[in-house]
Parts: sequence; C-alpha cells; structure tokens
Amino acid sequence: MDLVPLLQKVELFEGLTPEELQAVAALCAERVFHAGDLITRQGEAGDEMYVICEGWVEVVPSAPPGAASPRAVVNLGRGQLIGEMTLVDYGPRSASVRAISEPTVLQAMHRDRFTKLCEHDFHVGYLVMRNMAADLSFKLRHRNLTGR
Amino acid sequence: MASVYKVSYVVAGEEHPGAILNADQPPRVGDQVTLGKRRFVVLEVVDLLPARGDFRFLHATLRPASGN
Repeated sequence: MDLVPLLQKVELFEGLTPEELQAVAALCAERVFHAGDLITRQGEAGDEMYVICEGWVEVVPSAPPGAASPRAVVNLGRGQLIGEMTLVDYGPRSASVRAISEPTVLQAMHRDRFTKLCEHDFHVGYLVMRNMAADLSFKLRHRNLTGR
Repeated sequence: MASVYKVSYVVAGEEHPGAILNADQPPRVGDQVTLGKRRFVVLEVVDLLPARGDFRFLHATLRPASGN
C-alpha cells in the first residue's frame, strides 16, 4: 500500500518532499483496533506515536480528585496524531486513548526509528518538529474553545 | 494537492468534548456532520489560524441535530 498520499494529508508531514515522505512511510506499521479497544493507557511508558487513518478515538485523562468518573477531553478523527508527546518528552502517556469506531485504523511509528530519521535528515527533523509544535498548539486552542 | 481542512469542532450548550479531524471539504453553516455516532448541525465556521501550505485551519461550532 502506498502511504505517501495518506501521509501528505497529515499536518505533521506538511512540507516534506515525496522522497522524504517515502522515508517516513517505510517506518509505518498498520494497527487495527475495534471499538472499545484501549490504544494507550495513561501513565504507561510509550514508544510509538500514531496517525489516525480511519475512524475515531477518544482521549480520556484520569478523573480529577472528587470527579465521578473520567471524561473524554477530545475526540480525534482522520489525520490526527496520538502519542506524539512521547516523541519529544519521553514521558509516560498523558492520557488513555480508546478506539470508539469500528474499525479504527492507525499507522504506528516507533519513536527511536522516527527520531533517527529526524536526526539523519535535518530538513525532515525541522519540519516535523515545527509541525508537531503547531499540532500541539492547535489542540490547546481547541481545548480553550471547548465548553465556552 | 487539494486543500486539507483541519477542523476544531465544539458543541454549544452541552458538555461534549468536541473533536478534531481533517476533512476534504470545509464545513459550512447548516451542514450536518457526524462525530462518532452522533449527528450535529454546523452553526458557525471561522478561520482559526492562517493557512500553511495545503492546510487550512478552521473552527466550527455545532449543535446536536434533531433526534440526537
């Protein structure tokens, strides 16, 4: 399967050449989840990030003290990233992520292999890190606009 | 490549977490959109950020569609 057309529509890879996208595609592995499956669990170590190719996931941090139960803070659909924070901070998963559609299809990229590509090719590395910062910024803006 | 519309959706008047997704077409006022298993009506669409490359960044406010 040619992943380049799919990756071209993901903001993380905006600005990459077709050859650079091919290098990214070579790192990808498809993962298929079913509705209700847990993709990441808050607090666990993570070494993969994911691009949503099909379906929906919900992002659910643990409930704050006194709250009845955990609640989703955002639903993410096609083209969005999951687990990207581990690529930059090497920290544990900041929230649990669950598939909510049938099926939910992701492309997984291992952090160490992806980091190696970014360090080997500074053009790729710069664009990916800039785009990742923009994606995190977009998520913050969305969060700020939710519940007004 | 055709434009990709990265859309932040929020639902007015209820505690819905909203959603983010990439769309091939921009949402328009009055459109019905499906987020997960629920349907919503688009009330407002604004540019959230300047475009970058083929990407457009939009924010849309929704209300639940009748019957939801």
